[in-house]
Amino acid sequence: MVWKLLRKHISVPQFVGFVFANLIGMAIVLLGFQFYRDVVPMLTAEDGFLKSDFVVLSKKVGTAQAISQRSLSFTPAEIETLAAQPFVDKVGQFMAAEFKVDASMRIDGKQVFNTELPLESVPDEFVDVLKDDWSFSEDSALVPIILPRSYITMYNFGFAQNRSLPKVSEGLVSLIDFDLHLRGNGQEAQYKGRVIGFSGRLNAILVPQSFMAMANQRFAPDAEPSPTRLMITTADLSGESINQFLEDNGYEAEDDRLNTEKTTFFLRMMITVVMAIGLVISLLSFYILMLSIYLLVQKNADKLQNLLLIGYRPSQVARPYQLLTIGLNVVVLLLALVVVALVRSHYMRIVEVLFATTSRSSLLPAILLGLLLLVVVTLLNMAVIRRKIVRIWHGKERM
Amino acid sequence: MNTIKLSHVLPQVFAHASDLHSQVWQQEVTFEKGRKYLIEADSGMGKSTFCSYLIGYRNDYSGELLMDGRSAKQLTVREWTELRRRHISYLFQELRLFPELSSWENVQIKNRLTGFATDAQIDGWFERLGIADKKEEKVGMMSFGQQQRVALIRALSQPFDFLLADEPISHLDDVNGNQMGQLMMEEADRQGAAIIITSIGKHVELPYDRHLKL
Repeated sequence: MVWKLLRKHISVPQFVGFVFANLIGMAIVLLGFQFYRDVVPMLTAEDGFLKSDFVVLSKKVGTAQAISQRSLSFTPAEIETLAAQPFVDKVGQFMAAEFKVDASMRIDGKQVFNTELPLESVPDEFVDVLKDDWSFSEDSALVPIILPRSYITMYNFGFAQNRSLPKVSEGLVSLIDFDLHLRGNGQEAQYKGRVIGFSGRLNAILVPQSFMAMANQRFAPDAEPSPTRLMITTADLSGESINQFLEDNGYEAEDDRLNTEKTTFFLRMMITVVMAIGLVISLLSFYILMLSIYLLVQKNADKLQNLLLIGYRPSQVARPYQLLTIGLNVVVLLLALVVVALVRSHYMRIVEVLFATTSRSSLLPAILLGLLLLVVVTLLNMAVIRRKIVRIWHGKERM
Repeated sequence: MNTIKLSHVLPQVFAHASDLHSQVWQQEVTFEKGRKYLIEADSGMGKSTFCSYLIGYRNDYSGELLMDGRSAKQLTVREWTELRRRHISYLFQELRLFPELSSWENVQIKNRLTGFATDAQIDGWFERLGIADKKEEKVGMMSFGQQQRVALIRALSQPFDFLLADEPISHLDDVNGNQMGQLMMEEADRQGAAIIITSIGKHVELPYDRHLKL
């Protein structure tokens, strides 16, 4: 009956306006947050297969070296000097295959592709894979391989797209075995290769060191190992001393990590701006709602006062308005979550192809943030309404 | 609640009035449960102001208003609500009914709060005051005299120690006025409550214990 009395003067257009405006604001805020939570982990994903705190060093390639054919490989003396530096924990050499490797894949006996593969290896201590997965034994003839993630991207966007071939994901590639054909020193051998993982940070096709040592011994016994790239682990990646050392010796570090950081930074900035806009829209819509409620309370002020005078508590009188705002806020949240879910399902398809991975993230961040906003806004609404009613109690509102 | 005591109460609007001859303002007056008071006043002497002090709607006065010995200015919102529901029933001069509700609903909006009267009781009151046929009619469509009767029924739909009626029969003929007076008397006696009636001339004929000139 109280509701019957108080619902008079409710302006439907005002509330529709609020719902619409708040929906836009809320959807933008939640979407920005959700997108951030979906994409940033993919960008900054640590390679699960490699120790995380490593740097890859190589010598700078300049025009002079290209002409003079001066060796780009590190000499044992240089490696020792590097290892002696205080900022270096461990040094590992990339060992390249000194023999010829062809990889081919067959489906139904038909050769699908055949390519030469530049295999490399690093000491096992730099590889963070279960020992069983990252080992090679002559019996099994199965060689585990870690591929650069960019290979999949290259295939998916540079190749599959143009030729209308199906796109592949990491999971799919890992299921395919292919044949490795090794030749050198007058010998030949056939092995099975299996991709066990992808690396976003190493531009090398890695095989276990034990396999590489065995194969080099067998197919190129005379070759001298001449590492052109070194891998070091260091506690202090951005330190002054390490940069100085690299500068002095004409080495360079592959700064993939720096790139990721830049990308993440810009993404973060962009999303912050977008979320801020959404927040402003939400705030404005919140303002609309408060104005509508104020107006409504004002128009009903005499009735509210009468109810208070015949013994209704301020909380009882405030409740219909509070329920109204809670209802509206809940409706907006639900609609916003539907919008987020729709948009997300769309962009996740692109993102998953782009990063060639399936995401384990969920809609949870948006839901949690939405609930948080709902609680904050609703509490604020309730407090404001309550305050307004109490003012009426004290006869401070004109009737 | 047993007593309402005014101790040198003076509305702020009269603060500078020098020629105030009132038996209420600036006096010691105690209203006791179970007795009947008539407060007569000329226009502009603060009749409605007096009532609004008693139900906590206004407190712009000097002096002390004591409800059962407690200063009215110290009562909380919750205590005032309780007081309005259980102890002081107020029949407003301006009635404060809800014109968009029927007269029955106007009574029920209060009775649901207190759970005090049965439907049969309320029916009986409508009957006695001669507006039984107006139960479903919107109050906004009724005459002021009819509305005064609805307001009385609403005022009776709660327990009370004091029934405060601000010019309750200003728009009623003598027959209907006496009917209302009778009903007020009966209900007040049943609860052992006091009646405080204000008037600027025409007043309900009751066996008053005390006449006060405001």
